Amino acid sequence: MTRIKNRFTFLRILSLFVALLFALAPVYWMLTISLKTEVDQFASPPPWFIFTPTLEHYYDAFVTRGFGQYLLTSAIVAVTSTACALIIGTLAAYALARFELPWQLNKRLSLWILSTRMFPAIVTAVPLFLMMRDLRLLNTQASLIIVYTAFNLPFVIWMMRGFFADLPRDLEEAALVDGDSRIGALVRVVLPLVAPGLAATAVFCLIVSWNEFLFALVLTQTDASMTLPVGIAGRVTQYEIKWGVMSAAASVAIVPILVFALALQRYLVRGLSMGAVKG
Amino acid sequence: MPKSRRFFSAHAKRSLLLPALFIAPAIAVLLTLSIYPLIYSITISLQEETSAGIEWGLGHFARLASDNFFRTAMAHTFVYAAAALTCEFLLGLGLALLLNKQIRGRGLFRASLLVPMMLPTVVVGVVWRLMLNPNFGAINGTLKQFGIDTESLTWTASPRLAMLSVIAVDVWQWTPFVFLVLLAGLQAIPQEPYEAALIDGSSRWQTFRHVTLPLLKPAILIVLLLRTMDLLRVFDQIFILTEGGPGFATETISLYIYRTAFRFFDFGYAAAMSFVLLALTNVISVIYIRFLSHR
Repeated sequence: MTRIKNRFTFLRILSLFVALLFALAPVYWMLTISLKTEVDQFASPPPWFIFTPTLEHYYDAFVTRGFGQYLLTSAIVAVTSTACALIIGTLAAYALARFELPWQLNKRLSLWILSTRMFPAIVTAVPLFLMMRDLRLLNTQASLIIVYTAFNLPFVIWMMRGFFADLPRDLEEAALVDGDSRIGALVRVVLPLVAPGLAATAVFCLIVSWNEFLFALVLTQTDASMTLPVGIAGRVTQYEIKWGVMSAAASVAIVPILVFALALQRYLVRGLSMGAVKG
Repeated sequence: MPKSRRFFSAHAKRSLLLPALFIAPAIAVLLTLSIYPLIYSITISLQEETSAGIEWGLGHFARLASDNFFRTAMAHTFVYAAAALTCEFLLGLGLALLLNKQIRGRGLFRASLLVPMMLPTVVVGVVWRLMLNPNFGAINGTLKQFGIDTESLTWTASPRLAMLSVIAVDVWQWTPFVFLVLLAGLQAIPQEPYEAALIDGSSRWQTFRHVTLPLLKPAILIVLLLRTMDLLRVFDQIFILTEGGPGFATETISLYIYRTAFRFFDFGYAAAMSFVLLALTNVISVIYIRFLSHR
């Protein structure tokens, strides 16, 4: 019996290490490429640990080439679209969670809102490109902000609806009885209580917008309007590839994601499965 | 009706204005940016430009039937989705079962496993371009050290290995997600059924088959549903890794639609194809949801 137990413990620890190695080694490899001189990049056998680090590729990417601008665009688009989605979405979520609407609208609207998120991106990318072209919004940050707001909205509504529903009603009632208006109760009593949930939702939206590729690729093609992922992709598919520059840009693109992911592990599974499984 | 309920519905009856005002912006945004594009897309998929002007009809859809590229892209999509889903599920389930125990450092382990799935897909593409590069990539470099001939292992550049490579990359990125959802599902299972199984003298396998699996079914179905939807629409990683190549070897349906719309500017035909993809994902999700509600 104990032998079997020991074997399982051993297997457990082994699988843990193998999984960790598989998950992290490729990312680590990219980081080393971004820090290696071109000689070391092409060395054989590949140096995993011992090489002379250099920051030249980072300098090259963000100072000489246009990656600083892409980074700025990515940040502006992510932050603005997240703010818009949060404001619009939180209001709708609150109404759906707290008011009894006629004709079972609470349930029907929620399901309809969720269903808009189910379209494959390419299905809406084609008409959105044509719409933005007609509106002369191609190659603007505004086009991406608009699209990402709509893209994140169903997610915000579903997450926040869950957080509002978890909140006991008595607190708001107390505020309402005290003569506070609905909006007053929402702002002064409810929002502070769901602040952690709001923050988690915001971080999710930021990550989604930061990572998004297809819409950005379709809608922005100029240096002034393209986001970091599109900028990186443009370098990858060019004829001659600057591996160092590309890895440096990609490594920088990871940083905000890592910070966020560590900050809210707890909410992650719930968020990624849209609240379907409690994490 | 509990007191608080009555209070709220009385309040609500007095004014539907406020909830309407709260919900209206969200509905307006979704109508203009989700529903209107869909209608727009239907319109252009039914219009063909001929010398006589714009003609309405099912021409684009008729063209689908005889388009070999479309059929191949469909086949690629199914192969990709089926292979990646199987690997991700089996690996994810295995890991979740193994690690459904209090282990020291599990938090750190979980955080590290999050890394691949949180990465921008573009970065995933870059990471694996570097790993799989035939000349200086870490995979071939390491294989060479073990004396393996890597001459023919050109991965994403090889017609034979390209599909395998892009599938492996998806498995790398998304197995952690399957693992985390299933682990959460496992931890939500109460202890009592296990104690009962122990008293009945069930074997490990019997316990797994008759206790764990049925109780884990909702989590399994949800994770399979989410993965299937994502796999059928895959675009980003393949675009970065191979651009559908070499030749046509890894062209999935989303890539073919992209190429049709934004390289050949045949928007009507692209729209028609995108509806086939939409119909496909819808049918599959309905099947999953049926299963889920019949548990």
